[in-house]
Amino acid sequence: MTRIAAGERAALQQLYDATSAKLFAVCLRILSDREDAEDILQEVYVTIWRRADRFDSGRAGVMTWASTIARNRAIDRLRARGPMAYAEQVDDLQIADSAVGAEALLVTAGENGRLQDCLSQLDDRTQRAIRTAFFEGLAYAALASRMDAPLGTVKSWIRRGLARLKGCLEP
Amino acid sequence: MSERPDLTEAEAFAAEHALGVLSAEERRQAEVRAAADPAFAVLVDAWRARLTPLVEGIAPATAPAGLWPRIERALPANDNSGVGRGAGFWRRATVASLSLAAASLAVAVMLANRPPVLVQPPAPGQLLNASLVSPSGAPVPLFVAAYDPVRKALIVTSLVQPGGDPAHVHELWVIPADGKPRPLGFIEPGKTKSMPMPQSLLSSLAEGAAIAVSVEPPGGSPKIDAPSGPIAAVGKLSKI
Repeated sequence: MTRIAAGERAALQQLYDATSAKLFAVCLRILSDREDAEDILQEVYVTIWRRADRFDSGRAGVMTWASTIARNRAIDRLRARGPMAYAEQVDDLQIADSAVGAEALLVTAGENGRLQDCLSQLDDRTQRAIRTAFFEGLAYAALASRMDAPLGTVKSWIRRGLARLKGCLEP
Repeated sequence: MSERPDLTEAEAFAAEHALGVLSAEERRQAEVRAAADPAFAVLVDAWRARLTPLVEGIAPATAPAGLWPRIERALPANDNSGVGRGAGFWRRATVASLSLAAASLAVAVMLANRPPVLVQPPAPGQLLNASLVSPSGAPVPLFVAAYDPVRKALIVTSLVQPGGDPAHVHELWVIPADGKPRPLGFIEPGKTKSMPMPQSLLSSLAEGAAIAVSVEPPGGSPKIDAPSGPIAAVGKLSKI
């Protein structure tokens, strides 16, 4: 990151080679549209280039930092499509969720495995609420109407789910 | 799975922000809080790190081969390479776009404060606006200031969460082209205040002058011509 901040394009290309497949998958997952996902991925790396001097390794890992940028950008684009986008998203979401589940079974070690493990111990609705919020940036109100449940109920699913995740990750 | 007691209010809010489940207004509050309260920022960072493995759970997808060349063409030259527009430009551009957002807030504040009989648009280009951000932290405005030359008043809004630190006050300063700070008064966290500007200060409130907020003991800086405490936020006056 220091080399990127110093203006070394080769360093950004290295980061691109190492991370673009993941970040492109994040954009695709959120946007369900290749062309939009490519546009956003381009914005993400230009943003990384511009903001590399603000990256603080004491605060976050590179992947956390970069994927937060990718997720925020893609969710902004999704929101810009307007409320209809949320309605169209439902089927894609269910397909994508089973894909995540299948892949999670293959993961045996590392942070990913631990989080997926802990998530899988939550009830289905809570898992779905957390994944939908994470990958679509749905605010509570939209999430409640998507899940056809009262706002307060969805809120307590998420809050309790997050508390249990923390407890599971840091026993 | 082991049951845990509920998260504290601050941690639940940080977790919800990291998850992305807050409304636009709540997200803005969370960002302002993270900028003003390092303990809260740490909670948000920790939750981002906890949730990032969700990303790892998706199967990777190879980006099309033509995308890297496209990105490379879109890169602005960097400061340190000594060519063209660099990080400094981008920082300024970011602050400018933030102050644009802040400007609409400032105008709203101004219109709300002005008695209806006096409503009269200022001469174009004379209203000055500044978005004050932490000199070291995130580029999120902590204070918004607008100078209204018609009323000769500075309208300041503090976006800092109230109830943080009763032992200190926020003192406002203007630093005009001569570089000498002049005290303007105090602003309470979370409040909006219209401060009439004395004739002697009017020439200082020009485009390009800096507005700063320092953290001072109650009563303000013991020195008349300089802050005694750290600078919490700073920004430049510019035309809306």
